[in-house]
Formats: sequence, C-alpha cells, structure tokens
Amino acid sequence: MHSLSDSILEAFSLLFSGNAELWQIIGISFQISTTAILIAAIPAILIGFILAYTDFPGRRLLISIFNTLLAVPAVVVGLSLYIVLSRQGPLGEWHLLFTQTAMVLGQITLSFPILVAMSHSAFQSAEIRAWDTARTLSSNALRAFLIMLREVRFGLLGALLAAYGRIIAEVGASMMLGGNILHYTRNIPTAIALETSKGEFAQGIALGIILLLMSFLLTTVLHYLQGRGMLAHAR
Amino acid sequence: MPAKKLVELQISHIQKTFGKGKHAKKILKGAHIHLKPGECTLLSGKNGSGKSTLMRIIAGLLKPDSLQLAINQQQTSGRKACRLLRQQVMYLYQEAYMFDGSVMRNLSYALSEKNPQKLQSALRWADLEHRKDTQAKCLSGGEKQRLALAQAWLKRPGILLLDEPTANMDKHAKRRTGKLLGEFKQAGITLLIATHDLDHLLPIMDRRLILENGKLLEANKRGTLQTK
Repeated sequence: MHSLSDSILEAFSLLFSGNAELWQIIGISFQISTTAILIAAIPAILIGFILAYTDFPGRRLLISIFNTLLAVPAVVVGLSLYIVLSRQGPLGEWHLLFTQTAMVLGQITLSFPILVAMSHSAFQSAEIRAWDTARTLSSNALRAFLIMLREVRFGLLGALLAAYGRIIAEVGASMMLGGNILHYTRNIPTAIALETSKGEFAQGIALGIILLLMSFLLTTVLHYLQGRGMLAHAR
Repeated sequence: MPAKKLVELQISHIQKTFGKGKHAKKILKGAHIHLKPGECTLLSGKNGSGKSTLMRIIAGLLKPDSLQLAINQQQTSGRKACRLLRQQVMYLYQEAYMFDGSVMRNLSYALSEKNPQKLQSALRWADLEHRKDTQAKCLSGGEKQRLALAQAWLKRPGILLLDEPTANMDKHAKRRTGKLLGEFKQAGITLLIATHDLDHLLPIMDRRLILENGKLLEANKRGTLQTK
C-alpha cells in the first residue's frame, strides 16, 4: 500500500497527465447529472410556482411531502427504483437496470424534491404583489410566468446548483442502479468507493479533488447568487 | 393618447370570505358595482372594509366565493369571468411593485411586442426620461407610481383600478398624479379609485361609492349616503 503522500502525488499526476480512464469517469458523471437536472428542472420549477401562487385542496400536504422527501437517503431512492426496474419489478421488461438511463432516473428522483422546495421558496420570496403585477401587466399567463422567472432567477439558479451538488456526489442510488460498470456507468462517487475498497487511493483522491473543486465552485456561485437575490429584493 | 374602446362593467352578488369555520370573516356580502364607460368612480371606506379585496376581485386577481359579471352587457361567471376581467382590467397597488431591472425594462413588460418609440413616449409622458436606466426598485414612491401609470398608459386597459394612488405623496406629487389620471379619463378609460385623499381627485370624479359592512353604497360628492 502506498503512503498517503505518494497517493496524493499520484492523484495529481493522474489528473494532469490526462489519464483517459479517469477523465472518462468524470465525463460520465457530468453527463448523467446534467441530463437529470435538465429533465427535472422545468416540471419541478412549474410545481414550485403552482405551490407558491395557487390555492387548491391538498396544497399544504404536497408542500410537506416535498419537504420530507428532501431528507430521503440516496440509497433508499436507489433501492426503491431497483425494485421497480429489476426483472420482477413492474418496469422490468424495459431492461433499464444497470444502464445510464436508470442512473438518470435515480438522480431525477433525488433532485426533484430539492428543486421543487427551493423554487417554491424562491417564488414565495417575491411576494404576491409581484405575481399580481405580472398578471395585470401581461396579456397571457405564460408571459406573466416568464416575468416571474426572471424576477426570482437568482433563487432558481441557487435551486439548480444545490440539486446538482447533491446528485453529482451521491453514491447510493448510482451504485445500485448503475452497477458501477467501467466505461459505462462508473461515475465519480462509485469509482471512489470501488478504488478505496481495493486500497488504491490515488484515483479516489484524484476524483475527490474534482468533487471538492466542483463543490467549492457551486458553493461560491450559490453564495454570490443568493447575495445578488437579496440585494435585488432589498432595493 | 389615442382613445380606447369604452368598457362597461357590471358585477353583482360579489361575496368573499377569508378563513374557515370559527375564524371565517365575511368581507364582501353581495356587493354590486356598475362602472359606466369612461366614468371615474371614487371608492372610499374604513381601513379593513375590503376595498383592496374588492379591487383585486374586479381585476380578476382574487377568486370570489360568488360573482355575476356583465362586460359590455355580456353575461358571464366562473373562471371565464376571471379571465375576461384580467383582459379588460388593470390594477395598480398602493405601492407599485417594481421588478428587478431598469425603469425601461419594467416599462417594457406592459407591451407584448418590442416598440422603443412607444416606450420613449411613455417615459416622456410620465416625466421619467432622465430615470430610464435607473433601477426601478430605487425610485421614489412618486416616481414608482408614475412608472406604474406609464405602464397602464402603454397597456391601455378598458378599466383602470387604483388603490390609494396618492398615499404617502407630497402635494406636488399628488397634483401630478391627479393630472395624469385626468388624462386617462379624457382618453375614455373607465377609472375606479380607492382613496381617502379626495381633494386632488375631486375634479375628475363622476360618482362616489362607499364600502360599508361588505356592501357598496352610492354617495354624493361630499360623501353623504344616498337612498337607493
């Protein structure tokens, strides 16, 4: 087993030498998580908007459900979808288990409650006068909705980044639904778990550095956007 | 300003209750209102009497418990009524809400197509040309009100509802607002103005209504109730 300093040096060497396997794992991670966020974003933002500005029976219950789902562990989401997608499951005939599509489904399920809850908060922060003004100015509901999207854009971008941060680093659902297949479903967190279990720390550290950098970048952008959003509403 | 197609609005049996069960509070108890084309009606009533609620219902922004509507003598009710009201009526809050962005951007929201010339003329009309690149949220109360009026000027609704348009303004700003509202009236836009501050709006007033106990009562210019 290498010493820690050797492993760190090797990790940087892997990153800067352009190791094909390592960068493919990083590519798969970003591809799957970006696809999941792109699919989940529009319906989740719409639901957040409806929960913020309309009143219907069961609205409060729905808000509570989405808030509860924020805390669901990734492995439970993985297990639930595994049962649904496995051969004996209701969607077994689709042969989705251990594919990138299954991983995308898992990440959509994980990111959806975060996107709904945070976009709901973003829309609510704009107060009802904003929505009334948008409706009274606009010739149709779509235009009013677009005005509101711009008004709460910093909050919504914050929701997207927070959800992205959650899914790119989750290991439970990806491992169960993707199966950690090299060149296909192995992403950053599942690769780290595998390499660490083999006692090969260098690749794990290299991927960990990427995740840390990603997390730093997301947090910095989020912090900046929240500041801009607060400034916009305080003016 | 070009003349607008006149709109007549009759709404009856307006009922609205807030809360449920023991905490239910009936704000509007079958109010009737008839806004005649091109007329300016002032609406007064005590604080909390339901003026803003009534105006938001007339603007189609708040769903009433019940309502019967006739626009230009055409009867309708339910969701269609709310949609029709939103098409014909524009409602301006007491403190106009400004979206994040410049004065010009806020003004552009009132137009469905890009038209820089119209935007410029609206800015001139509201005397806001020198503020066109300013953050709208940074405007003074009077300037925000003028920007909201400029949006209405661009949108040219059939009916314009204003909630306390001269509240928290100095005399000069009140006169200015009164003058701009007079121009709406001249253009044939039906006005309903909820206000406690009658002095600056009396010159343009045609009728006066008082909201009391959830019902609308006709009053003379001095505010004395008239028998129906």
